[in-house]
Amino acid sequence: MPEVLNGAPASAPMISVEALRKSLRTGSTTVDILKGIDFAVAPGEFVAIMGASGSGKSTLLGLLAGLDNPTSGDVRLNGLAISYLEEDKLAQLRGRTIGFVFQSYQLMPTLTALENVLLPYELNDESGDRKAGLERARTLLDSVGLSTRVDHYPVQLSGGEQQRVALARAFVLKPPIVLADEPTGNLDTANGQHILDLLLSLNSQEGTTLVLVTHDPALAAHASRRIVLRDGLVVSDELTPQQATPGQGTGMGTGMGI
Amino acid sequence: MAALSYGTALRIATRELRSSLGKFAFVILSVAIGVAALTGVRGFSASFRSMLTLRARSIMAGDLSARINQQPTVLEQAGLDKLSGEGNDATQVVELNSMASSPTSLDPLLVSVKSVDPRKYPFYGKVELTPAIPLSEALTPSTVAVAEDLLMRLHMQVGDSIKLGNGLFRIVATVQNEPDRLSGSFAAGPRVLISEDGLTAAGLIGFGSRATRRYLFRMPQPRPGQPSSDQAVAALKTRLESTLPEAQITDYREANPALTTGLDNATTLLSLMSLISLVLGAVGVAMAMRAHLQQRLDGIAIMKSLGARSGQIMKIYVLQTLLLGLAGGLLGVLLGVGVQLSFPLFLAKLLHITPEFRFDPFSVAAGLGAGLVTTLLFSLPPLLDIRGIRPILILRRAVESADDPFLMRLLRKLRGNLAQIGANLLILVGLVFLASGVAGSLQGGFFFSLGLALILLILLGMSALTLLLLRLFLRGTRLHLPSTVRHGLANLYRPGNPSAALLAALGLGVMLITGVYFVQQAAVRELHISVDKNLPNMFLIDVASTEVEGVRKLLLEQPGVTAEPEMIPVINARLIAVDGVAAADLRVKSGPRFGPRDNSRPAGDRAPRGMMRNLNLTWAPKADQPPPGDKVSEGRWWTAQQAADSAKSPLVAIGKFPAQRLGLRIGQKVTLEAQDQQFTATLAAIFDTDSRHAFSRADFVMPEPVLRPFPAIWYGGVHCEPNATSGLQRALYAHYPTITVINVAATIEVVRQAILQITYVIQFLAAFSIFAGVVILASSIAGTRFRRTREVVVLKTLGATRPRIATIFSIEFAVLGLVAATVGLIFANVGARIFLHYVLKIDYHFQLGLTLFALVVTASLTIAAGWLASHRILGQKPLEVLREQ
Repeated sequence: MPEVLNGAPASAPMISVEALRKSLRTGSTTVDILKGIDFAVAPGEFVAIMGASGSGKSTLLGLLAGLDNPTSGDVRLNGLAISYLEEDKLAQLRGRTIGFVFQSYQLMPTLTALENVLLPYELNDESGDRKAGLERARTLLDSVGLSTRVDHYPVQLSGGEQQRVALARAFVLKPPIVLADEPTGNLDTANGQHILDLLLSLNSQEGTTLVLVTHDPALAAHASRRIVLRDGLVVSDELTPQQATPGQGTGMGTGMGI
Repeated sequence: MAALSYGTALRIATRELRSSLGKFAFVILSVAIGVAALTGVRGFSASFRSMLTLRARSIMAGDLSARINQQPTVLEQAGLDKLSGEGNDATQVVELNSMASSPTSLDPLLVSVKSVDPRKYPFYGKVELTPAIPLSEALTPSTVAVAEDLLMRLHMQVGDSIKLGNGLFRIVATVQNEPDRLSGSFAAGPRVLISEDGLTAAGLIGFGSRATRRYLFRMPQPRPGQPSSDQAVAALKTRLESTLPEAQITDYREANPALTTGLDNATTLLSLMSLISLVLGAVGVAMAMRAHLQQRLDGIAIMKSLGARSGQIMKIYVLQTLLLGLAGGLLGVLLGVGVQLSFPLFLAKLLHITPEFRFDPFSVAAGLGAGLVTTLLFSLPPLLDIRGIRPILILRRAVESADDPFLMRLLRKLRGNLAQIGANLLILVGLVFLASGVAGSLQGGFFFSLGLALILLILLGMSALTLLLLRLFLRGTRLHLPSTVRHGLANLYRPGNPSAALLAALGLGVMLITGVYFVQQAAVRELHISVDKNLPNMFLIDVASTEVEGVRKLLLEQPGVTAEPEMIPVINARLIAVDGVAAADLRVKSGPRFGPRDNSRPAGDRAPRGMMRNLNLTWAPKADQPPPGDKVSEGRWWTAQQAADSAKSPLVAIGKFPAQRLGLRIGQKVTLEAQDQQFTATLAAIFDTDSRHAFSRADFVMPEPVLRPFPAIWYGGVHCEPNATSGLQRALYAHYPTITVINVAATIEVVRQAILQITYVIQFLAAFSIFAGVVILASSIAGTRFRRTREVVVLKTLGATRPRIATIFSIEFAVLGLVAATVGLIFANVGARIFLHYVLKIDYHFQLGLTLFALVVTASLTIAAGWLASHRILGQKPLEVLREQ
């Protein structure tokens, strides 16, 4: 979807969050998870959302991806309000706009690594060009170092390998946005570092807008901007000093667009 | 180490149950339906059966009848007295021909007199008189009841007196119906019903009078309103046979074979159906428990990592299973009682009967026990699997060695799991006992259980093979298939998804359900044939050759006549020799154990001595076909050409019973004599009569050209609507006063109604078992939905729309359904064939259309069940599920 990127003026945010609230009702008690959040993410930006457990960061990510409806407020992806879209419309939008990386990989156990990577392509690509999809999936698996394991099933892969497959899957459709929920949370330091490197390099190659949820400051240090949540509110939103070049991602994105 | 106390285990068990009651509703329902079928169907069919056997007994008016042609000897009488002294009630019925006349005119009329003891006769059924007065009131030493046509012929009416022998008797009523009309003699002349004292007063029983005596017996009832058992009847029959060696002894079962066979088949079928319902319930339980434990894997792994031993965890789940079984059993018993109460209400209009409801605490306890035991037994394998769960699961899902061929895995599993084998053997033994209890015979239970186990093994093998082939296919074509098809197929190989087991269970279910349908359909069809509306219910005796055409025409003009009348020519003949051996020297085999099926004729007819004196020889209406109602059982019927040539080379066909009695084989030469002319014919065919057509009266059939020259007496059989019979009798009398009409319409109607009731009940209960089975299977499929939840969410996150996911699932379910249905239907056909052939002795015809229909229905139902089950997951917001991790 490079045209989405190219067509958008640099000032228009890729993601904008407006007065976002989410409450969960369990029985008689209502728990406010998000209490009114506003921010915008420019195209190509790499944002880390941080916060302690229970601060609402995963919920926020879910709402960004349209995995749930907010109680009030709105999420706009590239100008399109997604929060109250019909479920199937939302699914299509998700498939074409967002790549998702989960903490626990969430690969389809019945499909091989290659098929898992191909899945978003099959679900969302309307060009019918299967060959191109396969080609892309193989390339991505190759780039995450799994070219020899394409026909393995998830149970035959280690955690790190599964997460690499998940990474490839998230990027297969060249989505303008990739959302990652503690992508290294289940992995050891070495594997986690590897995943992070891959994520960053894929992100810079593809020029995607990346939103990463983590409680790990070391991980967040790689981001260009850090948003910290506490008790459902944004308590700090600042650019990371050493990488304070917001335009960088955009430049690379427009430049690459494979 | 302190053991987990039962209290704690129970608390954990109940808490888990409560937290997912919806899921367990399926388990409880499965057990409940099985138990309900067991108690309800059994209870209902038991009371229904005892009511119908009473009806079957009424056709004979007793449990047993012994017919003799002469006065019993002193010794025989002593034996009879001894038998009736043991609580068996006995009464004597004497039938003879005599002349009667009106005192005012001296025109005598041949009548068939029947004397009974009105205080005892009939033991079952009722003699219907007009006016409707009790028999004991109608038959005093000086009064009689007569058939309506006697009044017509003698121009008399009720209240007049009739001269019979030396006595004068007042006619107080007309006889509308005698329950045992079909079992009595088909003698010429209108009926005169008289008391024993009256018969003595008339002086008709003298030396040399040809009277037939029937001793009717009623055995003591085990419980009020319940007839004695078949075994007791058979035991008395054996004793009677030694007491009265000359007598023809029949029990009520032989009085109307169609009815008793129907009843026996119905009972067998109902046992089978309730057993199948229970097994289906058990399958449902096993599958639900497996799905449940699959979900509890994490919890179990956590407990294990905290130091819990397998035994302690199993304690929790065994308790849980027991609670579920108990709940299901209780619900099932309630449902069963409901079924018992509501079936009669529901069917009352259809059946015109209301079986009496008896609350039987024993059957309730048995149902409850069966529910509990089946639940526990069938949950054992998944429960034992608990021992294999490793705590490492918390950290990492175990890598299934999914690449091993299924059989290898099975073998390894068997080797490493003696307890599992023991559990399975235990299930088998439990099943044998259960099935024996339901079927009423250890042998039946044994065959059922063993057959089921064998089929299940074969099904497992076939399912595994199919899955393997599909997998190879998938591997070969993988990326060339449309993605939805590929994903759907791949779903069959979900890790931890016991697809082979699920397939086998589904296949077994499909097999049992469609098997029940096939079997009941064949049984009902057979029963319908036996109550064909056009079977004769009026018989004509002594029609002269010159009258035949006129009678036929007259009958066809009558309003109530629905089918072409059967007119059968009978030529009196004698048996002279077989293969040159004189009849007197033939070694005769003793009669078959259960006697001839048609008991409307005196015993002498079929005894060889009788055949030497007199046998009925006839020809068939069509030259190249056996007469209506006769079926060739051995040899071949002659062709038209052979019939035409028969003057030169005569052929004969002989009924099964005389043929057996004489030990005849096809191709033997039989010499007969009619009108002092002998002819030797080759035995071409042996046939079986259905004893419901007029032609059943003749056991010897030859082609027409041979018999044409001989004088024949004709008999007739015609079907007439029961309410039009008296009009037909009057018309016949008006034109052909010498022809005797025997009206058995009322009796035949009783039989017909009873058999129709049996078919209704069979169909109704089959529908119930099928419905129960479908519910159980559907819930088993639904039980797999929990495993899909995560898939749905991931697919949704990746942008899959609901229709897309539904399509993928549909393909998975369709394949599952189609494979299970194919395998199940093959076995259903095989099983139905075996069961029908060996147990019910009914021919089975493979029905392609029906089988294909069942295939489509099964596949559609599987998809529908899958859809229904997945509907809720499809609607769920992805985040809810992701958050739960």
